[in-house]
Amino acid sequence: MTSAIEVNGLVKRFGPFTAVNGVSFAIASGQVSALLGPNGAGKTTSIEIMEGYQSPTAGTVRVLGTDPRKGGRAWRSRIGLVLQSTSLDGQLTVAEALTLYAGLYRKPMPVADVLAAIDLAGDAGTRIGVLSGGQKRRVDLGIAIIGRPDMLFLDEPTTGLDPEVRRGMWQVIEQLTEHGTTVLLTTHYMDEAQYLASRVIVLANGQVAADATPAELRAKGGPPVIRFRPPQGSPELPAALSNRTLSGSDDLIELVTWARDQHVDLTGLEVSPPSLEDAYLALIDKEER
Amino acid sequence: MSQTLTAQLKYQATLITRTPRAFIFGLLVPALFLALEGKKHASTALLQQSVAGFVVFAMLNLVYLTYAAGLVLAREEGVLRRWYASPLPRWQYFAGRIIAYVLMADAATLVLLLVADAMSGVHLTAAAVGSVLLAVTIGGIAMAAAGTAVTRLLPPGQGAYSMLALTYLPLLVLSGGFGQINGLPHWLTEVMSYLPIQPTVSGVVSALQHPGVMPGRDLLVLLVWAVAAMAVSVRCFRWDPSRPAHARHTPAPAPVTS
Repeated sequence: MTSAIEVNGLVKRFGPFTAVNGVSFAIASGQVSALLGPNGAGKTTSIEIMEGYQSPTAGTVRVLGTDPRKGGRAWRSRIGLVLQSTSLDGQLTVAEALTLYAGLYRKPMPVADVLAAIDLAGDAGTRIGVLSGGQKRRVDLGIAIIGRPDMLFLDEPTTGLDPEVRRGMWQVIEQLTEHGTTVLLTTHYMDEAQYLASRVIVLANGQVAADATPAELRAKGGPPVIRFRPPQGSPELPAALSNRTLSGSDDLIELVTWARDQHVDLTGLEVSPPSLEDAYLALIDKEER
Repeated sequence: MSQTLTAQLKYQATLITRTPRAFIFGLLVPALFLALEGKKHASTALLQQSVAGFVVFAMLNLVYLTYAAGLVLAREEGVLRRWYASPLPRWQYFAGRIIAYVLMADAATLVLLLVADAMSGVHLTAAAVGSVLLAVTIGGIAMAAAGTAVTRLLPPGQGAYSMLALTYLPLLVLSGGFGQINGLPHWLTEVMSYLPIQPTVSGVVSALQHPGVMPGRDLLVLLVWAVAAMAVSVRCFRWDPSRPAHARHTPAPAPVTS
């Protein structure tokens, strides 16, 4: 399988500050990957280099086989972008904006299809300036996909959106990937990464801290996590069990023993592998120590 | 003209027509002032000077003030960032924008000349109108190019609008846009003649008095300004919005070249 993105030894410095420090990875065509990390980890700098906005200090980057800084019109027509914040002319209507961008591509998606995909057919004639934040974000996504991109960069596409809108955007992204589009996503929502991505690259302090599938990352996140909320009216959990995250066999045995002795119902007991968020937080905690 | 450039022209024209500031300061205010001021002048020469001043005032409000302030706004809202990464040849963004603004300035000029003809009694021939439009078009291109270049130095938000107004209004006054100022030092009038506003005012006055080609020197000054400002823009134009201080790892400016 060919690589849509190849990053080798990427370094980016801003004066004395090193934002990205020797990052390497490759992303296969058609794959949805999530680039995760805390603020300041180097995600946005890395993605901006891949998008062609910035030059690396050292290392090489190839996106669809081309150095992004040298990508011409043909290369740019294969790339779709949802930037970190909305980037739209408020005076245009939704349909006008989509039509304008559709005119830049050889075989764009029909505007009506994009309007339906982003669920804004009813607002086609509405000026973007009066749309809600979620609707504007959907227009951003519509513009990003209208040229049928081979590579789609999504920089925190659903930040601040309500769950329903987020789900809607996930569906659009899923449909695109069914047609072979490669997607690189940055997000602070672990459920989003879990749902969309088949691979997770975690950056911390400008370096790759983990590169794995979500399942692998969860498996590395430690022993199973135990969640239990005692029913109302039951005696309080002993201090040894109530003041920390419960995990592993010893905690489980201690909890079950306590419940049996106290005749407490265990209906609300959950034992599950650590969530992606648990695993991510454990990893970041380890990296930052 | 290519399909994408035509689309850009239409897009920019749509934005202008939906910007009330462009209509108010690019047409309404100059027309109102011209109608009030024009009646005061008894001599034809003074009247023509006054008409030229308001035509250039309207042109500057459109192709410099509104154009450059809009460009800063588009930069800060991330609109330019998106265009930068799109397949649109980057020069076409500027070409579409400048042509649209200059055409709007031409349209405003036509309206102002009609106002002058109706309210002030200036007698206009087709040749005079054509010559005025030519002067406004050339001056407009030079000023829009200058406006593009100065956006690099302008602060985000409303500050850009104030800074732009501060740069052109004094120059318009000193260039005789609101009537000749007697007693200016010679060196100052000499400096003004090398800046783009005075040659435009002079070109419009000349077109009203002696329809035909613009005075060669004025034309040359404007062409030099247009080329120099475009060269500076290609080198220094910034597509990225300003970043907050905590996130200011400012990348190198991206060139305008496609």
